[in-house]
Amino acid sequence: MALEVLLVEDSPGDVRLTKEAFRTANNNVRLHVATDGVDAMAFLNQEGAYANAPRPDLTLLDLNMPRMDGREVLARIKNDDSLKTIPTVILTTSTADEDIVSSYRLHANCYFSKPVQLEDFESLVKTINDFWLTVAKLPHEDLTAAVVPKDGKSLGE
Amino acid sequence: MLSPLESPEGILVTAAIRDISVRKSAETHLAQMEGRYRGLLEAAPDAMVVVNVGGEIVLLNVQAEKRFGYSRDELVGQKVKNIIPQGFAERIISDGTRSAAEALAQQIGTGIELIGRRKDSSEFPIEIMLSPLESPEGILVTAAIRDISVRKGAETHLAQMEGRYRGLLEAAPDAMVVVNPGGDIVLLNVQAEKQFGYGRDELVGQKVKNIIPEGFAERIIADGTRSAAEALAQQIGTGIELVARRKDGSVFPIEIMLSPLESPEGILVTAAIRDISVRQAAEADLLQKIDELNMSNEELGKFAYIASHDLQEPLRMVASYTQLLSRRYKGKLDAEADEFIAFAVDGANRMQRLIQDLLSYSRVGTKGQELLDTSSEEALQRALVNLRSAVEESGALVTHDPLPTVLADGTQLIQLFQNLIGNAIKYQKPGVPLVHISAVRNAAKQWTFSVKDNGLGIEPQYFEKIFGMFQRLHKREEFAGTGIGLAICKKIAERHGSTISVESEPGQGSTFRFALEGVKGSHASQQG
Repeated sequence: MALEVLLVEDSPGDVRLTKEAFRTANNNVRLHVATDGVDAMAFLNQEGAYANAPRPDLTLLDLNMPRMDGREVLARIKNDDSLKTIPTVILTTSTADEDIVSSYRLHANCYFSKPVQLEDFESLVKTINDFWLTVAKLPHEDLTAAVVPKDGKSLGE
Repeated sequence: MLSPLESPEGILVTAAIRDISVRKSAETHLAQMEGRYRGLLEAAPDAMVVVNVGGEIVLLNVQAEKRFGYSRDELVGQKVKNIIPQGFAERIISDGTRSAAEALAQQIGTGIELIGRRKDSSEFPIEIMLSPLESPEGILVTAAIRDISVRKGAETHLAQMEGRYRGLLEAAPDAMVVVNPGGDIVLLNVQAEKQFGYGRDELVGQKVKNIIPEGFAERIIADGTRSAAEALAQQIGTGIELVARRKDGSVFPIEIMLSPLESPEGILVTAAIRDISVRQAAEADLLQKIDELNMSNEELGKFAYIASHDLQEPLRMVASYTQLLSRRYKGKLDAEADEFIAFAVDGANRMQRLIQDLLSYSRVGTKGQELLDTSSEEALQRALVNLRSAVEESGALVTHDPLPTVLADGTQLIQLFQNLIGNAIKYQKPGVPLVHISAVRNAAKQWTFSVKDNGLGIEPQYFEKIFGMFQRLHKREEFAGTGIGLAICKKIAERHGSTISVESEPGQGSTFRFALEGVKGSHASQQG
């Protein structure tokens, strides 16, 4: 079964580099691209042109984007009961401490700065693939939807 | 003081009365007058003597009796010359050129300094004030007589002192004012006149509060808890910044220096007064310039940081895609294409390193942390971890002495070690690179760190130059680099209030030195 990855990134150069890097790392990954936060939310909520979009197994999220930035997308995902279980990983050029801290405060699952060197970038994408898409056990889409009631409390409580 | 009743009519009346000249009636007048003025005379604080135009005393008060040592009866009817031998009678008696009224008119309202003589023939300085009093006998003269021997004595002292100190005062570049313990100005120099816009006579005898409203008089006047001498002692030798006021009411900032001056009057205070408006303006100007400079420096730092950070983004694209191009198409196009791509890749890579180094350089200023107690030994270990691959590849032997705890930005100290040791390993001749790090206490009680190598060494003419931005001593083919590493070291040293220097002999090796502030009570750690 293909692994669905949503890349939220406004720079076409970075989109292509990430595609190339995933192509080398894992042939089984289907990379979907949203070029800003508004697009990303439409994709995640299966709205408009994204009515048939799959639920991503992993979201790679840039922070600085036009219209709606990555911080807001992150906050919306993590405040939405049906979306909050999707591992959301920040992939940005920013190395600023305040960005790192605020991302984790918003419950980002991980934070990476884009390496400057091509080789380092390729190796980072490989690491992300190896951990999040290979080693880690991810929540199954249908099951999570079933166990979360409308009041937001899980059945175990 | 009695107010003058003089009028042209009165003078005319006087002449008529003298013509009648009946003693009886004069006596009656006098008795009337005495009755009328006695109370007034006795109320006056001064000795009062009323004299007729013939120079005879017609009336006096108790003060006058006391002052001159005569009883009333001994003086009434006597010539005033007996008690004021010179200068009084002459002033009120008519002579060939003027009438008595004219003579008197010239004297009204001004104090005249004369000599008084007591019954025992002793003399004393007096000041008299004259006023006319109309009577049937003619115009009488009321003289208020004040004993000024105390003031005279003080004036003599002052005159002596003035004579003694005048030269000194006038030689001083500052305005000088001498003040008595009562806060009165007793002496001043020309500078003070100019500075305050008063003539000397307008200031002598005046309260110093008139020209220095606050902070001066309070400092020299005794209060309940201290004597004037004690009050003054606390102020000696320190500059006090106050505000002074000119005659025209304008104010200006001053600095005064006080020093005591002993005199028969008590301790006087000499105040050297300096107009510091220019200095204050200069200081304010300087502060503003410093502010501006700091701001522009900060802006420049931010600019360098943002510029290098933002430049990195498009450059990352260029570098990444030229590398992809090279990887995918090397050997698939012609030889020229391979060469072009290689140049593009190399250029992009170098520019990336340059920008990264520029970023590190600007971070030294903009992202610096507080200087804290830092183990330099630990910083060195961290630097060596970062350099591990370079050390292993070169086969270098890096040793060090026990190193102390110092006041430093830990991250920057790591970078400083890393750059210096990195250079020591990089600029090597064939053989085993040896690097040794040590620290010794210097005369200023700081720790002087040395990073010594056995490498290529540096020609003395480059000792300064190598710490400059983008300065390189080697061709790129020999040693890669941006020429920023040592500039960063210099900036880090400077941020720690230190400097960095090099000693070297070409072919023998180099020693880089910098000093850091020690932490109180700390010694070099024992581990080697």
